[in-house]
Amino acid sequence: MIEVKHLTKRYGRVTAVDDVSFRVEKGEILGFLGPNGAGKTTTMRVLTGYMPPTEGSAVVAGFDILEQPLEAKRRTGYLPETPPLYPELTVREYLTFCARITGVPRREREARVKASMEKARVADMANRHCGKLSKGYKQRVGLAQAILHNPDVLILDEPTAGLDPKQIIETRELIKGLAGDHTVILSTHILPEVSQTCQRVVIINKGRVVAIDTPDALTARMQGHQSMYVQVDAGGADATATFCALPGVVQVQRADVRGALVGYEVEGEPGRDVRRDIAHAVVTRGWGLLELRPMRVSLEDVFLSLTTEDAQEVRRG
Amino acid sequence: MANTLAIAGKELRSYFASPIAYVVIGLYALLFGYFFLLFLTAFAEQSMRMAAMGMNQPVNVNQMMIRPMLGNMSVIGLFILPMLTMRAYAEEKRSGTFELLLTAPLTDLQIVLGKFLGSLSLYTIMLAVSSLNVLLLFWWGNPEWRQVATSYLGLFFIGASFIALGLFISSLTKNQIVAGIITFAVALILWVISWVGDSAGELGRAIVSGLSVIEHYDDFSKGVVDTKHVVYYLSFIAFGLFLTVKSVDSERWRG
Repeated sequence: MIEVKHLTKRYGRVTAVDDVSFRVEKGEILGFLGPNGAGKTTTMRVLTGYMPPTEGSAVVAGFDILEQPLEAKRRTGYLPETPPLYPELTVREYLTFCARITGVPRREREARVKASMEKARVADMANRHCGKLSKGYKQRVGLAQAILHNPDVLILDEPTAGLDPKQIIETRELIKGLAGDHTVILSTHILPEVSQTCQRVVIINKGRVVAIDTPDALTARMQGHQSMYVQVDAGGADATATFCALPGVVQVQRADVRGALVGYEVEGEPGRDVRRDIAHAVVTRGWGLLELRPMRVSLEDVFLSLTTEDAQEVRRG
Repeated sequence: MANTLAIAGKELRSYFASPIAYVVIGLYALLFGYFFLLFLTAFAEQSMRMAAMGMNQPVNVNQMMIRPMLGNMSVIGLFILPMLTMRAYAEEKRSGTFELLLTAPLTDLQIVLGKFLGSLSLYTIMLAVSSLNVLLLFWWGNPEWRQVATSYLGLFFIGASFIALGLFISSLTKNQIVAGIITFAVALILWVISWVGDSAGELGRAIVSGLSVIEHYDDFSKGVVDTKHVVYYLSFIAFGLFLTVKSVDSERWRG
C-alpha cells in the first residue's frame, strides 16, 4: 500500500532523512518511532506530497507521489503535528470545506462530515469555532479531517499529542478500528503507544532507519541476557560479593537503596535461571528477601539502545 | 474549478467570520461617504455660483464631481487593500493550515486562484456598497451612466491588481504585518512613480507612466475603455498570480 524507496531529504546542507526505505502492507498500522528531530515529520511530509524528496521515491496507494501527486493525495488522509484548523470557522464549516477540497461528492458531503465527527467524537462541538476548542478537541477535529474522505492511507503525525489519558486510549482504539480498511502510519515518541497500537515499528534516528520489526521481535532481540531485580534487607551488609560468587552470574549492580532495603540488578548467563540460587543465598545468610523478579526489557530499552550512541551505558544506566 | 470556488468561498467566509470584512467594508464606505459629501457640497456650491452668474449651461456632474471623487477612491483602495491580502498566505503558513491545502488534492493554481477570487469578491462587495452613494445622484440628477460604469471598471481593475500584488507578497512571508507593510509600500511606489515628472526625460516618463497603476486608470475615469489599459491591468494581475504560483511551489521545495 505504501512503498518508500531510498528516500532522502536535504534542507540545504542538513540531511533530515537519509536513504529511508520501508513498506507498509494494506490494513497494517506502522509505528514511526524516533526522538524529536529524527526525521519522522519530514518523512511524513514527503509521503503526503507536502514537499518533494531530494532523492528516492515513494508510492502511496498505488500512485507515485511525484508522478501522480493528485491521485496519491486523494487517497491519503493526513493529520499534521499541529492540527490544521481555521480558528474562525466552526467545526462543521471547517470539515465541509475539507470535504470540498478533497473531492467528496456533494451528495455525500453532509453524511461524511457527520460520520467523521462521530468517529472522532467531536459531534458535540459541531457548531463551535475551531479556535475556541481545547487542545484535545482540536486534535480530534484534525483527526476527523484526516478520515473525512475515507482515504486508503492515513498518515498521522503524533495523533495523541495533547490529549488526556482517557482521550489517548479512545484515540488509540479509534486508530486500531481504522486499520483493516485503512493503512495507517503513525508517528510518536511515546513508546507504549507503539507496542499497543502498531503491528510493526520503524525506528528512525538522525534520518536513518535503525530497525524495522514487530514490537515483540524488537523486544526479544534485546533479551540476550536475563537480568533479575533483587531487593534484600541485608541489615546494612553489601550483598554484591555474595551474588557475584553465585554460579552463572555475570554481573551485579546496586540499583537503589531505600534505608536498609537494597535493590540489585543481577545479570545471569543467557538461558540460565539464577533465581533459585539467589533466593537460596539470601535465605541462608538470614537476610530478608523482599523482591525477586526478572527484569523485562521494554521497548523503551530497545529504543534507547538503538537511538543512543553508547548503547551499553544506557542499558545499564 | 470546483476546488477553486471552494477555496474562494472559504476565504470569503473567513473574512466575514472575523472582523476584517466589516472593518474594511465599513472603513471604505465611511471614507467614500466622506468624499461624497465633500465633493457634493463643493459641486452644489459651484452650481449655485454658476447659476447666480447667469450661466444657463448646467455644470457637468460627471466631470466636476464623480470623476475626481472616484479618482480619490482609487487611492483609498491602495491603503485598504493591503489589509485584505496580508493575511492570505502569511496566516496559513503561521497556523499550519497551509499544510492542509498543500496536501489536499489541489493544484497550486487552484489554491492561488481561489484566494485571489476570495479577496476580489470582498473588494467587489466594497465597491458595491460604495456605489449606493453614486446611485443617489441618479435619483436627483442626471449623470452619464456609461462614464460611471467605466470608472467602476477601472476601480475594479486597480483593486484586482493590488490584490494580485498583495497576495504574492503575502505568499513570501509568515508574518502578516510584514506582508501588509511591504504590499503598501510597493503599491505606493507604483502610484507615485508617475510623479517623477519631466526630470526623467521623455523615455523615462514613458516608462514610468507605463508602470504606474493609477495612470492607467485615467482613461477609464473619462469613460474610455482602451484595450491598452485593460491589457495592462490583466497582465499585471496575471503576472502577480504567476509569481504567487511559483512562490507557493517554492514553499514545497524550501519546506
